[in-house]
Amino acid sequence: MDMHHIAVAVIIWAAVFVESRKIRGISISYKRFYKERKSFLCIDGSKLIPFEQVNDDYCDCADGSDEPGTAACPNGHFYCANLGFRPHHIQSSRVNDGICDCCDGSDEYNSSAHCQNTCRNLGQKERAELEERMRRLNEGLLMKRQLVEEGADVWREKQAELSELQKVAEDLQIRLEYLRKRKTEAEALKEAALAAAHPSPPPEEPRSPIRAEISLDDHDMPKPMQDTDLLIDTDARLQQWMESAEKREESPKDPEARDPATENDPDAKAAMEAADSAVADLKKSEEAYQRLQMEIRELEDRLAIDFGSEREFLFLLGRCFQIIAYEYTYTICPFNQVTQKSQAGTEVLLGKWDAWGGPKDNPYGMMKYDRGEPCWQDPPGLLMYG
Amino acid sequence: MAAPIDRMGLLLVILLPVLFSISHAVDRSNFKTCDKSAFCKRQRDVKPGQSPYRALLETLELSNTRLTLQLINDNNKVRLLLELYRLQGNMTRVKINELKPLKPRYEVPDVLVKDPPTEPLSVLDRDENGVVLSLGADSQRLIISARPFRLDIVDGPNVLLSINSRGLLVFEQLRLRKDTKSETDSEGGEDVEQNVAEKGEEEEEAKEEEDQPGMWEETFKSHSDGKPNGPTSISLDFSFPGVEHVYGIPEHADTLKLKSTEGGDPYRLYNLDVFQYELNNPMALYGAVPVLLSHTAERTMGIFWLNAAETWVDIGSSASVQGGSEKSQTDVRWISESGIIDVFVMLGPRPTDVFSQYASLTGTQSFPPLAALAYHQCRWNYNDQEDVKAVDDGFDEHDIPYDFIWLDIEHTDGKRYFTWDPLKFSQPREMLQNLMDKKRKMVTIVDPHIKVDSGYKIHKEISSKGFYIKNKDGGDYEGWCWPGNAGYPDFTKPEMRAWWASMFAYDQYEGSMENLYTWNDMNEPSVFNGPEVTMHKDAVHGAWEHRDVHNLYGFYVQMATAQGLIQRSGGVERPFVLTRAFFAGSQRYGAVWTGDNAAEWGHLKMSIPMCLSLGLVGISFCGADVGGFFKTPSPELLVRWYQAGAYQPFFRAHAHLDTPRREPWLFGPENTALIREAVRQRYTLLPYWYQLFYHAHRTGQPVMRPLWVEYPENAATFAIEDEFLLGKDLLVHPVTDEGSRGVTAYLPGDGEVWYDVHTYKKHQGNQNLYIPVTMNSIPVFQRGGSVISRKERVRRSSLCMQDDPYTLYVAVSAQGTAEGELYIDDGHTFNYEKQQFIHRRLTFAEGTLSSSNLSPDSQFSTASWIERVVFMGVTKPNTATLRTADGSESALEFEFDPSSELLSLRKPGVNAGAEWTIQLR
Repeated sequence: MDMHHIAVAVIIWAAVFVESRKIRGISISYKRFYKERKSFLCIDGSKLIPFEQVNDDYCDCADGSDEPGTAACPNGHFYCANLGFRPHHIQSSRVNDGICDCCDGSDEYNSSAHCQNTCRNLGQKERAELEERMRRLNEGLLMKRQLVEEGADVWREKQAELSELQKVAEDLQIRLEYLRKRKTEAEALKEAALAAAHPSPPPEEPRSPIRAEISLDDHDMPKPMQDTDLLIDTDARLQQWMESAEKREESPKDPEARDPATENDPDAKAAMEAADSAVADLKKSEEAYQRLQMEIRELEDRLAIDFGSEREFLFLLGRCFQIIAYEYTYTICPFNQVTQKSQAGTEVLLGKWDAWGGPKDNPYGMMKYDRGEPCWQDPPGLLMYG
Repeated sequence: MAAPIDRMGLLLVILLPVLFSISHAVDRSNFKTCDKSAFCKRQRDVKPGQSPYRALLETLELSNTRLTLQLINDNNKVRLLLELYRLQGNMTRVKINELKPLKPRYEVPDVLVKDPPTEPLSVLDRDENGVVLSLGADSQRLIISARPFRLDIVDGPNVLLSINSRGLLVFEQLRLRKDTKSETDSEGGEDVEQNVAEKGEEEEEAKEEEDQPGMWEETFKSHSDGKPNGPTSISLDFSFPGVEHVYGIPEHADTLKLKSTEGGDPYRLYNLDVFQYELNNPMALYGAVPVLLSHTAERTMGIFWLNAAETWVDIGSSASVQGGSEKSQTDVRWISESGIIDVFVMLGPRPTDVFSQYASLTGTQSFPPLAALAYHQCRWNYNDQEDVKAVDDGFDEHDIPYDFIWLDIEHTDGKRYFTWDPLKFSQPREMLQNLMDKKRKMVTIVDPHIKVDSGYKIHKEISSKGFYIKNKDGGDYEGWCWPGNAGYPDFTKPEMRAWWASMFAYDQYEGSMENLYTWNDMNEPSVFNGPEVTMHKDAVHGAWEHRDVHNLYGFYVQMATAQGLIQRSGGVERPFVLTRAFFAGSQRYGAVWTGDNAAEWGHLKMSIPMCLSLGLVGISFCGADVGGFFKTPSPELLVRWYQAGAYQPFFRAHAHLDTPRREPWLFGPENTALIREAVRQRYTLLPYWYQLFYHAHRTGQPVMRPLWVEYPENAATFAIEDEFLLGKDLLVHPVTDEGSRGVTAYLPGDGEVWYDVHTYKKHQGNQNLYIPVTMNSIPVFQRGGSVISRKERVRRSSLCMQDDPYTLYVAVSAQGTAEGELYIDDGHTFNYEKQQFIHRRLTFAEGTLSSSNLSPDSQFSTASWIERVVFMGVTKPNTATLRTADGSESALEFEFDPSSELLSLRKPGVNAGAEWTIQLR
């Protein structure tokens, strides 16, 4: 052994010696139980033992308190001081088991494991992480503020849209009333014209009631008012609604074979046309009204969703996100649905938006989607997204 | 792993209606009964008492090592050659083959560890009716009777065993097919012609034998079995006068004591992947060991029927007259589809003798790495590396030790063994290193079916080397298994096994490390679309048909795999390989488990007789899936299974892919605590387990034993199968009933005492003891007169406990004595073969406990020391004095509890390998 090794050995011996003066494996708050006296009272008070039996690698106390620094007691704990990082307790069974558990390596004081003291690094890392977390938190708060603002804008927009739609609905309501009235009038006129054109039905040919009705149209009637006349007061939005309704209306059916008599009677024809037009207009408007109501309900439903205390999640509405995990692509459309698509291309509905599903203290931590397609032999899927 | 139907997407659709209609049991129609197996039916139709065989005594030849004698079938004049050997260690070998077969018949290679050494036979007496031979110096004789041929082994006036006494020797000789005979005659080679010609001369009076159905072709379900060799089956009967109890011939999910098969099917030995097997049934399962033990209070014997073809065993009982009084007799009849008759009669007389005799033939239990005796956590499947890490952390978080985590088939890249899923297990070495850092290990599955895929290295090499089993037309045999279309390497070829072993080298099996071990599943072999979910019998292994070698396939797979694990470490490290299929001799290569059981109380109960039966025939390293593979255990069943499994040799939890997760901490804190306690009990007892396995490895004595093995004269023990012994010193009676409030354990041994290991309470032997139980009860008793060593500092894994101190539990006998052993080595290498171990005897007598060296030539040092000595059943001493080798003496502190007569000595502190005594005064 050269001098160098002897020096190292002396230092190690000294370190061990110094170490042995204090009680291994306890925290400062427990020091009072381990004051060096003649005897040691197990912390649970169950037994009095000679003080030299503390940390002598034999378990004497039922509570394990005599062996805080060894693995002797099945229920003991070892305190890692971990200077530079966070102190903590480990089970006694992890003392000298060849695995470094304390970052200061203090748990492996008599083992083949060569533990590095990593506390400083861990501490630095933790502080850096903390800073990073703070930074992220601030960023997050900023983002949240933005999102809240954005949400507020969207909210206002949607509210405006809603009130606009409600306004249109009101207008449409008025128009509906007008059209109902017009229809009644037109039908009355039609009846009158019918009476004038055919005082008595031609006896030689029994006719179906419809045919008879049609023939009544051959009266000279005032020209029906055009749509445009009616639309003068309504705003562009309503017009839009009506136009879209018209577009969607099925192409008119072939006019029924007309009775030449009525065809040739301008009054009857006009009356009939006016009545037809009044009926058609009313139908169109009623449909438009229904669709409008549906849209309003939908919008109201959406706006009734809980978007967070400050509507900070509103921005997610109408967006979709994709996650690829192994062979599956998951599409998550918040407040709507979640689907899974395999590489082979089959798409499965995993769930539809139900509600927030987080715990009470953090209700917005998780979304709940349910009514998905059932798995093999399982009830319909229920999905939670954290 | 499951049987096929379960997860084959393709078949699923077709089979769904079937699956639902059969509820949750085995589909029996998938498997043959004796009636559906042509040779079994043919043989079973032969009735006793009309043996056409006659011994031609004039042909008797006796050499130093053997006796040969021709037998003739008087019906067809076909001659057989009988060979008799007297083997060292009180065994007799009886071999019967055709005198001049048309071509060689299969004789099982590689199962016997060596040519069994013989001892000279001598003729004592001889006349025209028979010959009497001496079997050694004692009163044992072998009597050959000429007409009809029979053999009797006698001991003084007592007949121990009679062979062909019921005249059921049937030897279907190789023959030419009648419709092709002339054709073959003209085309056949010279040898054949000559042979036929010779035969013709000899068989002038031979009656023309009629072909029976199934002789040249057989169909089962949609599978046809072309039989180019025609009928080749063999059969022989054995009678045990005075015997009522026979055991063995695993693997069956049935009672320990074999039942009469009269009126039912025989026990079947044919390695099969049986989906959701039924209990109490003689159907074949995954493995086959053709060894049967007979037992009476006077003598234990064994029969080893060395044949690897499909085999059926009929058990019957009748009455025999011996010495003027009528006695019961057990009749056993073996029927095999091909090969020869090669029987080893192990004459005992004690159970331990039979175990030694059988071990001398097929070898002993491999000595596992210590860690393999600890707890294994498995499931189909741990999904990815994160999952593995989470489970690993879970064990630490809940302070439950474990040593091995297992990966089932999903870890591979598309069921290509020796590969890893590139997404889920992209960094296997990192994962293994993380486990190694915690002193833990992993097992991956490597099955013998190889995906047919030109881009897969393993397939390419096997295919290019011509190592695949061939179909009857000469192409590579292909079958359906987990990867889809798969080839099956011919493991009967030594070159194939050598190549396979080389694939486990660290540079071949990419991502593997020294803490990665192997699991061979599906090696019956399982072929999803084959007859009875296995390989066609007319598939070809070189010169032989699959029919001849079937039951050997799994044996060879495990052999090659174990060889691979040894080779990768340069012969230093002991392997650990688990197999599902097995044969006689499989004990040399690792562990077996009882396959795909179910989460039912009946399956928990059945795990005991199943493992006991395996232990009797050499395979000690046995376990059942803890929790049950199929279905979902209730928390109570799971806890009880952990408690039972903790005291069975191979201790692994496993679960089917479709079952909910069941790691120990998922059932609430109470159940977690119960499971933790059971696993901890296992870990404290690891020194004892290790010593038992060392003993099994050295001597062939089973680790887990039926009571009758240690109490052979006590008839009350002969049928016990709800409790068992570990070694001879621990008696375990697991709780295996739902809602149990108590169990009744039989404590054997007149005048003996047993100590409850939890309460230290003493109980008298030879009584039925009622033990009230709660959920945390595992009734275990230590035999008075024994010393058991434990390590009581339970840590994260067994390796973490390597240097920990021992506590010695001295259970004192009624005579005030005790004896035990302590075995220590490095726990994982073959260095114990170079005498690097500590083996000590611990003896307590006249108040002194001493540690003496059982192996003075060996050298090993340990850091472990003696932490505590606990005496059960002693009075309070005044002093306890430790005396060490250097003569120094010191007084030991102690505590004494008079109510339980428990004495605990504090910290002797001597090294576990040292010489010392402790004197109580």
